[in-house]
Amino acid sequence: MTPTVEFRAISKRFGDVRALEDVSMSVRQGEIHAVLGENGAGKTTLMRVLYGAVRPDAGEVLLDGRAHAFRNSAEAIHAGVGMVSQHYSIIPEITCLENLMLGAEPGFAIAPRPSIDRAEAIAQRMGFQFDWKARADTLSPGGAQKLEILKLLWRRSRILVLDEPTAMLSPDDADALYASLRQLAQDGATVLVVTHRTREVVTHCDRATVLRAGRVVASLDVKDADASTLAKHIIGHPLAELPPRPMTNASGPGLTLRSVWVKGDRGDDAVRGVDLRLEPGEVVGLAGVDGSGQRELFQALIGVRKIERGDVLVGDRSLAHAPSAQRIAAGIRLIPEDRHLEGVIERWSLEANAMLGLQRRQELRSGPWVATGARRRLAEEVVARFDTRFGKLSDPIASLSGGNQQRLVAARALARDAQVILAFQPARGLDLDSTQRVYNAIREACDHGACALVVSFDLDELLEYCGRVAAIYSGVLRSPGAGAERDRYAIGRLMVGADA
Amino acid sequence: MTKAFVGWRLIALYAGLALIVVLLLLGSGVQPATAGARLWEGAFGSPQAWRGTLRQMMPLLFAGLSVFIALRAGLFNIGAEGQLLIGALATAMTALTLQGPVGMVVGIVVGVLAGALWTLPAGLIKAYRGGHEVITTIMLNNIALLVTGALVAGPLKAPDKQMPTTPMLDTAARLPSLLRLESANGTTWTFGSPEDPGIRALGRLAFEMNLAIPLGVILIGAFGWWLGRSVRGYEVGAMGENPVAARFAGIDTRRTTVAALAASGGAAGLGGALLVLGQEGRFFAGFSPGYGFDALGVAILAGSSPLGIVPAAFVFGALNKGALSLQVIDVPKGITGVILGLLIVAFAAARVREARNDD
Repeated sequence: MTPTVEFRAISKRFGDVRALEDVSMSVRQGEIHAVLGENGAGKTTLMRVLYGAVRPDAGEVLLDGRAHAFRNSAEAIHAGVGMVSQHYSIIPEITCLENLMLGAEPGFAIAPRPSIDRAEAIAQRMGFQFDWKARADTLSPGGAQKLEILKLLWRRSRILVLDEPTAMLSPDDADALYASLRQLAQDGATVLVVTHRTREVVTHCDRATVLRAGRVVASLDVKDADASTLAKHIIGHPLAELPPRPMTNASGPGLTLRSVWVKGDRGDDAVRGVDLRLEPGEVVGLAGVDGSGQRELFQALIGVRKIERGDVLVGDRSLAHAPSAQRIAAGIRLIPEDRHLEGVIERWSLEANAMLGLQRRQELRSGPWVATGARRRLAEEVVARFDTRFGKLSDPIASLSGGNQQRLVAARALARDAQVILAFQPARGLDLDSTQRVYNAIREACDHGACALVVSFDLDELLEYCGRVAAIYSGVLRSPGAGAERDRYAIGRLMVGADA
Repeated sequence: MTKAFVGWRLIALYAGLALIVVLLLLGSGVQPATAGARLWEGAFGSPQAWRGTLRQMMPLLFAGLSVFIALRAGLFNIGAEGQLLIGALATAMTALTLQGPVGMVVGIVVGVLAGALWTLPAGLIKAYRGGHEVITTIMLNNIALLVTGALVAGPLKAPDKQMPTTPMLDTAARLPSLLRLESANGTTWTFGSPEDPGIRALGRLAFEMNLAIPLGVILIGAFGWWLGRSVRGYEVGAMGENPVAARFAGIDTRRTTVAALAASGGAAGLGGALLVLGQEGRFFAGFSPGYGFDALGVAILAGSSPLGIVPAAFVFGALNKGALSLQVIDVPKGITGVILGLLIVAFAAARVREARNDD
């Protein structure tokens, strides 16, 4: 049987970087095919070749046995290829129907009635329901993802490419997404899913192709593999087992939140009466879909957003209205959500950035002056911690890749006397190895008496590394009931506001 | 893109800018070569010319530093002009009241404080209400201009003068000369003697420089050192580069904003004070021909290092002095403004190129 999609010896360079090297793979009609790999392994580039957004230096793409050399995405769309990129293309200010048709309007003038009829027909086939005239910003993340898929069907795509489609979804929404993809595949569509989540590949996909550093390292039937085999292919060696956490009775202040209320940017209550106690040594995960109040809570805890009501204590000391500098002095450390905006000064050197937030510490100053020797030692310590790859300490931090910047920012937060670690997606942009190292370092700090509150949109990551996981939905913190502390579906339901 | 190619592009840009100047000069009916020679002559042609250039440069050092300090903190202080005027008037009144060296020293302190205080509305509004400092400092400029003008035309006016001006300060209350060059009977070098109005009247004074310029250079160097080496300097710089990250790093950006604008105003006020004590000897209506606005150009031309303020202020001073000689041959004085503007464009273009090449 002729494969629906076939890549033959695709190579692509960007400057000195080999993004793809002699990549060949084939995808059959009616299957869900996973393209796996670390960040930077070449997955997205390969898919962009298929979508006509990147022209390969060598090799060819065949659809149903016929070679195509797409010069742009319009040609790929015409040939039946549709792609949903990692960042949704939904425009919040216009209606769902307008989003659906955007770029593929049925004619010069848009007649709403027939368009809605057709949209409705497509949605019904998938079992989706949409209020077509509602603005798209009323959609949940799951709803937006569904609309993205309908956009492909509207364009009559038969080859669907989805880049990290579940990144923003709860487990239930992710399952529902794969159920609809399965239905499309059974109807004859061909589905390619780019992901790094081995677990969902094992559960939902038929075949998988693993890329590492631009090359295909494995191509296999999923039924022959389990998650750890896939992980081994992805990183090239088995992932180390997490060391069991020793029971420690290390003492530290811990963190107490008493009925904390915080307002969002629009004056709404973004955090509503959160009560939480982190004992010394505890690593607590905070699950939730993006925009559930995690951001406002973290900003309030570090002191850049006002706490309207309630109290925050480190040990016995109330810090709810203390300036940020005092909170940092009390041991609160933040791995911020938005590294570019909140975590680094891009034009400054690694050395200057390594001190950011710690600049008032006694050992880093002599009187009013910066102790340059101590600063350099701190910088060396910070870059060494997670193997930040860099040229010179005096290079601007903007010269580092995103992952290396994240390593530096994470190491800085853990560098000196961290007592309360607030980590917002600490593994963002990191490969599996580094993810594990960062989490291990957080756990190690906690073994010495610190405590950590970790936000991630990846529930599996939290379940793997945190002692317990609570969910935040619409600013309200909810913990799973006894016996369900590690039940991903129970927590997943709390994440979307349903009862566990 | 190769380095050489980038170089050619810049040369083309500079040639284009030079062509604009030449065409403008031809348009006003003057040979460019003549105009260039005049300009040079006027700025550097004699000890007197040098003296004038340095006199034009002096306030720009301080006002330039003022704008530069604010820029480092990420703030645009367009109000150096107003701060300089307020500082100058406060110094003049203090020195006139207290008299002598005491009046001079206290006058400097009062001038600095007055310039700093004048920024407070802008600093507080920016820090606590989010009002943009560009708007508020411009408004404060107008207030300063009108208030000082009214005061010097009314209650503070010298009774024996027709013009709106304060009385002249005694020599004892003036900044001492550091270096004098007289031309009556050969050349005589004198150190530290006060400027003698008699000699000045006879036109024998050839060159004179007081403490103000060395003080400015030292102050600029000290600021650069402080910015690079002190914890507070680090925090100010962090706020200037990324105010959000600065807040996350525990820096009180509100207080830092107020303090940085006040320091900026203090530098401009000091410029005004030294202008009164070292050059003008009084305050009068129309005291500043726009030093505070030239200072914006000086600070931009200075680039990333505060030491760049010194050559930038020198170039501005020389062009401003040279422009006076151009007026004699009917070239509008504005031409040097055009040249300065083009200089800034050329400089900015070169810096963008550098930044791009770093990528």
